[in-house]
Amino acid sequence: MVQFLFLVIAALGLLTALGTVLARNLVHAALFLVAFFFTVACQFVLLEAEFLAALQVLVYIGAVAIILMFGIMLTRNIQGDDTTIVSGAWKIPALMAGLCVFGVLVFGINNAVAPAGQSPWSESNMRPSIAADAGSSKATAVRREAVNNMARTVGNELMTRYVVGFEVAGLLLTVALVGAIALAHREEDAPDAPSRGEQPARRASASPRPQAAGPSLVASEASPPN
Amino acid sequence: MASDIPLNWFLYFAAASFSIGLVGVLIRRNAIAVLMAIEIMLNAANVNLVAFWRYGNAPAGAGPLPGVILALFVITVAAAEVAVGIGLILLCYRRWHAADVDRYDSMSG
Repeated sequence: MVQFLFLVIAALGLLTALGTVLARNLVHAALFLVAFFFTVACQFVLLEAEFLAALQVLVYIGAVAIILMFGIMLTRNIQGDDTTIVSGAWKIPALMAGLCVFGVLVFGINNAVAPAGQSPWSESNMRPSIAADAGSSKATAVRREAVNNMARTVGNELMTRYVVGFEVAGLLLTVALVGAIALAHREEDAPDAPSRGEQPARRASASPRPQAAGPSLVASEASPPN
Repeated sequence: MASDIPLNWFLYFAAASFSIGLVGVLIRRNAIAVLMAIEIMLNAANVNLVAFWRYGNAPAGAGPLPGVILALFVITVAAAEVAVGIGLILLCYRRWHAADVDRYDSMSG
């Protein structure tokens, strides 16, 4: 039953991924991408990582897909949707590259080498138990706590073992936020799109103020997390 | 819950998704579509990480959730990457009036 469910979800995921890659209309591609994110969240549920599935839905479907939608709306292609895929001569090498990578990955999965005395991981089809009465070793108890109470365990781990990575990720998000704002803010000085000939002069005359504002903004915003 | 799904199936799904994403990066001209294909590849890698976390035994000293935490950091970095990438694409669109990656050729010799 679970296997059948997995096959259905995987088939849907691959179809939506193909739709994302091949759809000519970019809005359709973005909607296919949302469906793909959702199938990946379903895979996380099948892997008993429900917290990560919720996070996947919140971050990817809730934030990333919406940002991509805004990007598509703001850069609507003037020539229409026919130019979103390269011309035919370049499709064959791209497909060849994809098939080659897939072949190499499948070869690697099928021919995994194992450490001495263990069976290779590619043959493992049983997860480590998390049952409460299965011998109740310490590793099983830890794993059961991690699976059943994943949000709390993730919080504890982020605050103790991975605290440096957590701080760096926070700093990265702050810098990305400030960088995105700085990139978008510069356009405010030139609301009407100038022609190409006069653009260097305009940018030279308009550049000192954003250049002076940009680094100081970044420095003042990025220093508190340190 | 003793599940019967072999680990290989998750790996094959991730490999196929990764290959599709790679093909998407190569055959797409629109920059936002390239960004979407990159997201597909990152998600495929995340599926691999979580599958190995669930099916394998974590080494001593790695904590109970090594794969999940790594997937969490991948999601964080992907979100930051999309935000900055969309900002850059918007800037290039204002400058060149096109969102196609082969139109951004002012540095080619």
